[in-house]
Amino acid sequence: MNRFFSLLAFVALVSGLQSCKEYKPELTTSTITIKFDALRDGSRFQMGRIFTDAYGNRVRADLFRNYISMVSLVSDDGSELLLKDFLLVDYSIDNEFTVEVPDGRYSALKLGVGIPAEFNTDQDPANYPNSSPLSVAGSQGMFWQWSTGYIFAKFEGKADTLGVGSAQPTLNIAIHAGNDASFRAYESPGFTLDLRKSTRTIAVHLDVDKLFAPLEGNEVNLTNNAVTHSQNNSQLARDYMDNLVAALWVEL
Amino acid sequence: MRWGYFILLLSFFSCAETNSPNLHDSEVKVRIPSAFPELVYPADNSPTKLRVELGRRLFYDNRLSQDESLNCGSCHVLSAAFTDGRATSQGLHGSVGKRNAPTLANVAWLKRLMMEGGVPTLETQILVPLHDSTEMAPSMMPIVDRLNEDEYLRALSLVAYGRDSIDPFVVTRALACFQRTFISGDSRYDRSLQGRNDQMNERELRGRDLFFSPRTQCSECHSGVFFTDMNFYNIGLFDEYADRGKARATDRDEDVGRFKTPTLRNIQLTAPYMHDGHMKSLEEVVRFYNAGGTAHRNKDGRIRPLGLTDEEQADLIAFLTTLTDWNFVQNEELLPLGK
Ligand code: HEC
Ligand code: HEC
Repeated sequence: MNRFFSLLAFVALVSGLQSCKEYKPELTTSTITIKFDALRDGSRFQMGRIFTDAYGNRVRADLFRNYISMVSLVSDDGSELLLKDFLLVDYSIDNEFTVEVPDGRYSALKLGVGIPAEFNTDQDPANYPNSSPLSVAGSQGMFWQWSTGYIFAKFEGKADTLGVGSAQPTLNIAIHAGNDASFRAYESPGFTLDLRKSTRTIAVHLDVDKLFAPLEGNEVNLTNNAVTHSQNNSQLARDYMDNLVAALWVEL
Repeated sequence: MRWGYFILLLSFFSCAETNSPNLHDSEVKVRIPSAFPELVYPADNSPTKLRVELGRRLFYDNRLSQDESLNCGSCHVLSAAFTDGRATSQGLHGSVGKRNAPTLANVAWLKRLMMEGGVPTLETQILVPLHDSTEMAPSMMPIVDRLNEDEYLRALSLVAYGRDSIDPFVVTRALACFQRTFISGDSRYDRSLQGRNDQMNERELRGRDLFFSPRTQCSECHSGVFFTDMNFYNIGLFDEYADRGKARATDRDEDVGRFKTPTLRNIQLTAPYMHDGHMKSLEEVVRFYNAGGTAHRNKDGRIRPLGLTDEEQADLIAFLTTLTDWNFVQNEELLPLGK
């Protein structure tokens, strides 16, 4: 929240400074659009369509969402500029937001997958206005009602893990990951983003090919298990979150 | 925005004069039994007359369920101390839930809600039945939209909470506010504690002594004025628990089968018993404790064969019936308005 206020303060400063141009150096801004999408084989991932994962399972996604939090740009001097506090990304639709940022050189993008503990544990979604992704309306079912806290990521659909080959796979996939232990921080590899009254887009892609694939001892293999509500199969939930951050990459 | 509110407020007051002349809110002083601890209200939800009225209307309003067939009072019936007499509750379209509806008497004081304790406040608990298709509705927002068609409820919402439409905040605040008036502390046992020695007979007194004795240790978990320590235990009901209890929230093996200690106030009226309602009578419960439960790895050490005679078991049950507060279950202010 502090960072949010510093952003507010900054915006106020920018607009304030702009109105007193005669005795302050000019502070210019650029427009940045951050967009989130899921890719497979390099092109936009299709919901409801069957694909084959790294284990050879045939998989269909019917619902595919996750929370992204505290999206910030790291500036050359190491300071961080918060662009967005919370966002519920739904890979069946376009997800983007646009902000004005002060001109300068930026070198990385940081974000969280899930909701940080101080906004997650024992919070009350009814305290947020409907427009917030953390509200009852805005969370769109991404909330554990019987045990407060948000569902950080959902992947629901069907799988054919036995090579049955039927037109539509029948095994239920329900991955609902989310508790403080499955929050993940992401920081992009370094880049050079030089902003001077520019208009730029930063794409945060999620590579679906890496979602159901081996990763340093993690097994998100639907053959073995395809259902977690975090608390009943917390290992799968944590592994899924590991794979999810490992599948992110940023394109300028 | 501010002006919008102000104008709305003005226009509201002008019509309130004609339609509902007494829509003026005032603080209510809730009477709390002297032996009970102080009740601390959330900063945004201290009780007022109209908040309680709004909560009372919502509690008994069928529009809170998806097909308008159920309200909170369907599963929490006052005459049964806000339980429903079923082993496990029946929700939408006759669907059957997994747990026994608990009493709501004195819920205001519970530190955690739900049997695994996952929910911190009464306000947030309301999201549970409103997002569960085996209870009232799969999602709360269509319910909120429906309630907003009711001008009187909107008017109440504005005066009680300063919000010009019903939203999740108002629904959860008002229902919690009403439930904080569910106060039960006037049983024969309470009166005997106040020095009235005509309240309990000899059998009941013997039962009381057993209940508080090291021999049974009942009062170590069912402790204090609410007869619960609000802690979580496995009492060895089963060898294998179908409902994992607290482990549902923690995924830890040592929490399997641990459930929140239920209050024993009004216990005579809240059969059937235990989290899944599988025990039909207090006789069955006391027989269970006397036998000492299963050998579940997580069972609390105090649950062990007690060696109570039939006579002593009857005494214990007799004591439990002195915990019934007949004024509470007949309190008209807790029934639907106008009944
Ligand atoms: C279909 C039946 C049903 C309906 C309708 C229902 N409840 Fe419940 N209620 C239950 C059951 C069953 C539980 C136990 C849940 C658990 O612990 O998992 C419960 C638990 C509760 C608790 C927690 C009590 C405790 O000891 O932790 C409160 C408070 C509560 N309900 C209030 C309400 C309110 C308010 C409504 C209306 C918005 C409502 N209930 C509607 C069945 C119902
Ligand atoms: C170790 C703590 C503990 C002790 C000791 C204990 N209880 Fe319990 N009691 C509980 C818990 C926890 C439950 C709920 C268990 C469940 O539903 O799985 C319970 C349930 C009950 C219930 C059913 C309540 C309901 O609403 O369904 C009754 C009645 C009861 N106990 C009476 C007693 C009596 C009488 C004794 C002494 C012989 C006793 N208890 C000893 C913890 C304890």
